[in-house]
Amino acid sequence: MGRNTIRIGPLVLAGVIALGLPLAVRSVTYLHILVLLYLYAYLTTSWNLVGGFAGVLPLGHSAFVGIGAYTSTVLSLQYGISPWIGMMIGGILAAIVGVIIGLPTFKMRGAYFALATIAFAEGIRVMVENIDNLGPIILNGPRGLQIPPLNTGLLNFMFATKEPYYYIILFMLAGVLLLTYAISRSKLGHYLVAGGEEPEAAMALGVNVARAKLIAMAMSSFLTAFAGTFWAQFTLYIHPKSVMSLDISFEIAFIALIGGRGSIAGPVLGALLLRPVTDFSRIYFGGKLPGLHLIIFGVVLILVMIYQPRGLQEPLTRAYRSVTKKLFGHTEAA
Amino acid sequence: MRFILEDIINGILMGSIYGLAALGLTVIFGVLKVINFAHGSLLMVGMYVAYWAVILTGLHPYLALVIVVPVMFLFGYFLQDIVIKPIFKAEKAVREPITVIIVTTGVWYILDNLSLLVFGPQYRNLQDNPLRGKMLEVGGMLLSVPRLWGFFAALLTALAIYLFFQKTRTGRAIRATSIDREAASLQGINQYKVYNLAVGIGTAAAGIAGVSLVPFYNIFPSVGVLFDIKCFIIVVLGGLGSIAGALLGGMIIGVIEYVGTQFMAATWTEAIVYGLFLVFLFLKPSGLFGVKYEW
Repeated sequence: MGRNTIRIGPLVLAGVIALGLPLAVRSVTYLHILVLLYLYAYLTTSWNLVGGFAGVLPLGHSAFVGIGAYTSTVLSLQYGISPWIGMMIGGILAAIVGVIIGLPTFKMRGAYFALATIAFAEGIRVMVENIDNLGPIILNGPRGLQIPPLNTGLLNFMFATKEPYYYIILFMLAGVLLLTYAISRSKLGHYLVAGGEEPEAAMALGVNVARAKLIAMAMSSFLTAFAGTFWAQFTLYIHPKSVMSLDISFEIAFIALIGGRGSIAGPVLGALLLRPVTDFSRIYFGGKLPGLHLIIFGVVLILVMIYQPRGLQEPLTRAYRSVTKKLFGHTEAA
Repeated sequence: MRFILEDIINGILMGSIYGLAALGLTVIFGVLKVINFAHGSLLMVGMYVAYWAVILTGLHPYLALVIVVPVMFLFGYFLQDIVIKPIFKAEKAVREPITVIIVTTGVWYILDNLSLLVFGPQYRNLQDNPLRGKMLEVGGMLLSVPRLWGFFAALLTALAIYLFFQKTRTGRAIRATSIDREAASLQGINQYKVYNLAVGIGTAAAGIAGVSLVPFYNIFPSVGVLFDIKCFIIVVLGGLGSIAGALLGGMIIGVIEYVGTQFMAATWTEAIVYGLFLVFLFLKPSGLFGVKYEW
């Protein structure tokens, strides 16, 4: 057992399990829950590019989800453009908006940045809720847009069963994780971490912190918009409260912080732990104990922040290392 | 013209209650340098405490203050002592306590959903209290009496907090900590005790806002969310940490809401408020009365 086997082995195993899971899970409900789990892992990993590595606290990513969902839906419903192309256009739009938000706000200190991102996201939501049509573009205000499930098929990003959605979001998640890994090892990644932890020191060394953060913000909003398109095509119905709600932004931040922001495994771990809590408490206690999962979220969040401020990935990684060390000797020594 | 004047005055009255609600947020930020995301939830708790105090004891709605203020002070004091302090201690070296911000979000989720579990989703109000729907006619204009009392409550609370900070020894310790917590600690001031006090005072102020709202407002578990973002906007407008700024910021928002609805749908005034907020954040992040913080 070499060092690489120990590091990559579990990833390969997880990948194989994830690929095979739809063969074992025949229940539509469970498949739906899994899709949402991956979707949130994807969203949180995208958020992590700026919220984790750059060390700021964006709380308005719902805006990018909404931009992605609305762009692709409007383009496919009213102009017959494939949602895949709409997804790209939505991503580009979101990246532009992300840079517009980032330009003035990255100069601000933490609290202001968090507030500014919330205000932007809520401002955009309120506007969409007020606009029935923008020239020829129909948004339908608070009623939202419905996508008639007529032409299923890969090109139309629409399927009669859940399995295709499962694989699409799985590949999206794998892609964004690879990208995050590449960035974390790149110059940009080091700039971001340096700028997040010690901005003055980083700037003194000639790192253009603001530029690094803007690039991260652009990538993060671009990728987040993809999730919006996916969401629209998966549920076939979008309205401002569903795809632009602040709850999305907060849930992403919760997952990242509990899992461990700034790490690659953190967002996935957080989604693995928290999404089932949400879904199962809704299924089993939804009628009698509404909001139970949110109380659990809050309590877990506070406990994690007090006892493991770097998130749960840290003790788990440490435990994994010590187990492999015991089993396979001192392979981690190097 | 008279209608506009009536709207402006009613906007100022309601806005001062918004300002009162935001007062605690600005006090807490001024001292701890933390945006308390749970502030709306504290207001919600204050409203429920006031509501039950009136229902169970039959007190006049405003006499509920006798119960609400001490209860809310203690609630805030121990909230900071038990939940927030450990995180401050763990992150001693960090200048910007982002973790604390997110923990207050956790508190928000817990409080709102606990009250949903305990009190249920239904709207409650003090149906037959003497103040509900009471109007005062001044020069042909109709002013809401409970809002007028709220206006006075806001001014008095702001004055009381200001005097406490300026004139008492404890107030001086709080101000010293808010300016430089390390230096204050070196002078023998217990930083965490000051934090407890500040959050206690801020929470008690939210309780007073709750008492002012209860005679004419609906009480429900997520009522705080309606005020949360409004309060953030108000304190940024007025200047984070500024007491006078919170009142003025509140009044500006109130006037925009009341006058705006004469010309457009109420939901659009909301968009205008967000726009104004962003303009301020970008052009003058220190707000109307704010100090430029270097922390």
